[in-house]
Amino acid sequence: MSESLRSPSTTRTVIIGLDGMPYGLMKNLSESGVMPNTREIIRNGTFRQMESSIPEISSVAWSSVITGTNPGGHGIFGFTDIPHGTYRLSFPNFNNLKGTPFWNREGSGRSAIINVPSTYPATPLNGVLIAGFVALDLEKATYPPSLIPELKNMNYQIDVDASKAQRSMDLFLEDLDRTLKARIEVYRHLWDKEDWETFMLVFTGTDRLAHFLWDAYEDESHKYHPAFLNHLHQIDGAIGEIAGRLSRNDTLIMLSDHGFELSKVDVNINFLLQKEGFLKFKNDTPKSLADIDYGTRAFALDPARIYVNLENKYPRGNVKPEEKETLLSELESCLDSLEVDGKKVIERICRKEEIYKGPYIEQAPDLILLSHKGFNLKGNIKASNLTGKGIFTGKHSQKDAFLLINKPAEAIMPEKPCVDDVVGIMDNLRK
Amino acid sequence: MKDHNAECTCWNCPAIDLTGRVDFRACGQSREVFNKDLEENSDAYVVAECKRRPDLGLFDPMTITFDECPEWQQTPYGRLLKGMRVMILGIDGYLGWTLALWLGSLGCEVSGVDNFSRRDWLKERGAHTVVPISRMTERLHAAKEILGININFREIDIFKERDKLREFIDEIKPESIVHYGECPSAPYSMIDLDHATFVQENNVMGTLGVLFMMKDICPETSIIKLGTMGEYGTPLTGRPIFEGVFPADAVLRWDGREWSMGGELTPRDPVSFYHVSKVQDTYNVYEACKYWWLRSYDVMQGVIYGVHTPQVAADPKLRTRFDIDEAFGTVINRFAAQAVIGFPLSMYGAGEQIRGFIGLEDAMQCMARLIAYPPEPGQYDVVNQMSGFYSINHLAHTVARIASKEFNLPVKIQRVENPRVESDIHPFEPIYNKLPDQFGFEPRITLEDEIYRTLELLTQPEINHHFVVLSNFVHHNTSGASETIFI
Repeated sequence: MSESLRSPSTTRTVIIGLDGMPYGLMKNLSESGVMPNTREIIRNGTFRQMESSIPEISSVAWSSVITGTNPGGHGIFGFTDIPHGTYRLSFPNFNNLKGTPFWNREGSGRSAIINVPSTYPATPLNGVLIAGFVALDLEKATYPPSLIPELKNMNYQIDVDASKAQRSMDLFLEDLDRTLKARIEVYRHLWDKEDWETFMLVFTGTDRLAHFLWDAYEDESHKYHPAFLNHLHQIDGAIGEIAGRLSRNDTLIMLSDHGFELSKVDVNINFLLQKEGFLKFKNDTPKSLADIDYGTRAFALDPARIYVNLENKYPRGNVKPEEKETLLSELESCLDSLEVDGKKVIERICRKEEIYKGPYIEQAPDLILLSHKGFNLKGNIKASNLTGKGIFTGKHSQKDAFLLINKPAEAIMPEKPCVDDVVGIMDNLRK
Repeated sequence: MKDHNAECTCWNCPAIDLTGRVDFRACGQSREVFNKDLEENSDAYVVAECKRRPDLGLFDPMTITFDECPEWQQTPYGRLLKGMRVMILGIDGYLGWTLALWLGSLGCEVSGVDNFSRRDWLKERGAHTVVPISRMTERLHAAKEILGININFREIDIFKERDKLREFIDEIKPESIVHYGECPSAPYSMIDLDHATFVQENNVMGTLGVLFMMKDICPETSIIKLGTMGEYGTPLTGRPIFEGVFPADAVLRWDGREWSMGGELTPRDPVSFYHVSKVQDTYNVYEACKYWWLRSYDVMQGVIYGVHTPQVAADPKLRTRFDIDEAFGTVINRFAAQAVIGFPLSMYGAGEQIRGFIGLEDAMQCMARLIAYPPEPGQYDVVNQMSGFYSINHLAHTVARIASKEFNLPVKIQRVENPRVESDIHPFEPIYNKLPDQFGFEPRITLEDEIYRTLELLTQPEINHHFVVLSNFVHHNTSGASETIFI
């Protein structure tokens, strides 16, 4: 529906997500002139640092953003999970989300949802939805299906091909640019075509850019420093365009799901668990969790979620319920004392009961680790060393996401907002 | 005892749908479509869905073993997919029909194609099977009535009717394809240019078409392709005949230098234009696995013999064919037939040639075990399928001994001039460890037992009657010098 057909009195909400965009980076680039449109929105609105989910993983954080609940309420604890009674590594998706996304709540009105991570496969809604990563098939990612040919015509692709960065950073940047342009074209198309009350668009290239080129951002002499800034400048252009399309009654919410920081060294938690005798594999070169052997007391999934290998919960479960508390203490002590190059690695060890609430807490990992700056925790079971360093120069940070509303909203935005506060803030803005 | 395939995972399973690969270090998917060319990356997860259990959602295919999956059910030959869809190309043949009933009795959903050319080739040579076999419609009816096995059959020439074959594969979506659909005769391929051309075209081009269809329609399906030990020849150096590829510690030394040969295909030395077609097949299948990530076992089968399985023996209408002519008969079967007719057992030269052999029932066991343990994506592997190796002389004397002692048949052994270009005396050291070691194969039938069962069948009056017409083809018609040994 064209702009002129809409009633000027309709209160609409527009949400722009920037995956992995740190509060600090947003502040710096808006002040330095790379993101002038954002600067204007910040100047007139409310801009705060926001806490991500624990762990600070996109699938967990975005699930909290759209449902307004923490992982104990929506059941997504990471990109990977293991169903009860198995060592099957599954990849939870939208079908596994237990909470209700805001667009499916009663009276939510018509929505246009573009590229929100972990909304694959697309399910029917009042409106349109194009899922964000992980979404392996565009056809299953799109509702209604009648939209698919239009997306194909616009050369829409869900995600940048990250494997390109392994071969050539230039190829990766080209793909990043192409993906962004198609995404912008699709948002324009749906903005005009759909009669929506809520419009949500997430840019996810920001996260990929930061993973591969955070060092380029921090180092002004880096070959790709201008490319890093240029991508965010382009996104700022889209933000300005969207802001210019808003009616007076419309609210614009901008947010990220987590922050970013320099990754100095990878720390392989399963290697540590194996070395300390908590984890045993059937062979020297385990291919998967299916190779977990009897005698295992704990194992980790990415990035740093530790599961107690409880008897009657896992096929080769080895820990009796009454032994669990002692084991957790042992693990905490071991992890707390972990040092690499004389520096403590783990900043905080969270027990599930202290950070999660809701009906799905039983599925949660028993311990979740947060690292000190620079340490990138990993659950890789194939690692042959405690530490390593891959191609990535940026890693997620938990405390440095952002939340920005284009109007004074101090009264309804908590002093220290968290990703699961967003739905409540949206509700309050509509009142 | 644990099944040989208990630890296989969905990575091996044909019900897998490899939907993509994700690298969660960079938070997302690398490609929208699974692509085997991606560099090996220990941090990237393969994402799969199960065509049989869509409720599993997306998962890492390495993390569910056959042992844990309810779709893989126990059989005497390892776990098999419940109602596994197996398509047999060449289902009307000696092996094809026998395997169809064998798999059907294990609960597989069997489909098959054939154009009855084996029957035609025999007619062309003025011969036919000595064990009468029914028309396909009657066979299918009997399989249903007597064994409760439904076989979905289409008459298709896999080389000349590719469109029909493509449609059928698309309709069935087989989870395993057993490829017996080739002309299996060295003598037939050596008759003249027309026959050599026909055999090579039918075998090589037919198989090439199947590979392309699998790539397009069912790349997760395994193809178990019948090769032959004859592809290797009998190397006069005496080096072992490995299972298709050199073992990891094989080394080539030359000019004071040395190279590892581990994993490279071993040299082939085919002994007829038919065998050349099999070698060409080997390379085509090998390449298809490399290019498209198809999965294949190349079964280098020893010389097959025998006539018995519980299923084909269940009723005369279910019997499989038994050829004893020069072109399509194999040596033990020919000896048995000659013994029954009262012709001398014709032994080429001194009979010192040594070959690998396997009984029909044991060959069926091997095929079931291979089907149950599908190769991984892109895996081309070779098994030497045999249960023992014997000299022709030993075989002739074994047949003669059993025929005379157990069936009171007077038997002579006749040495005739060897019409083949081969060494009469040669070293022979086949390696055939994979089937017993990896696939749990244990031969159940001794050479003597199977010869006994064959003679028992051939001496039945209604079958014995057929030998009258066939006698010319059982008797070797060489004009060379001969020597007869009386047993």
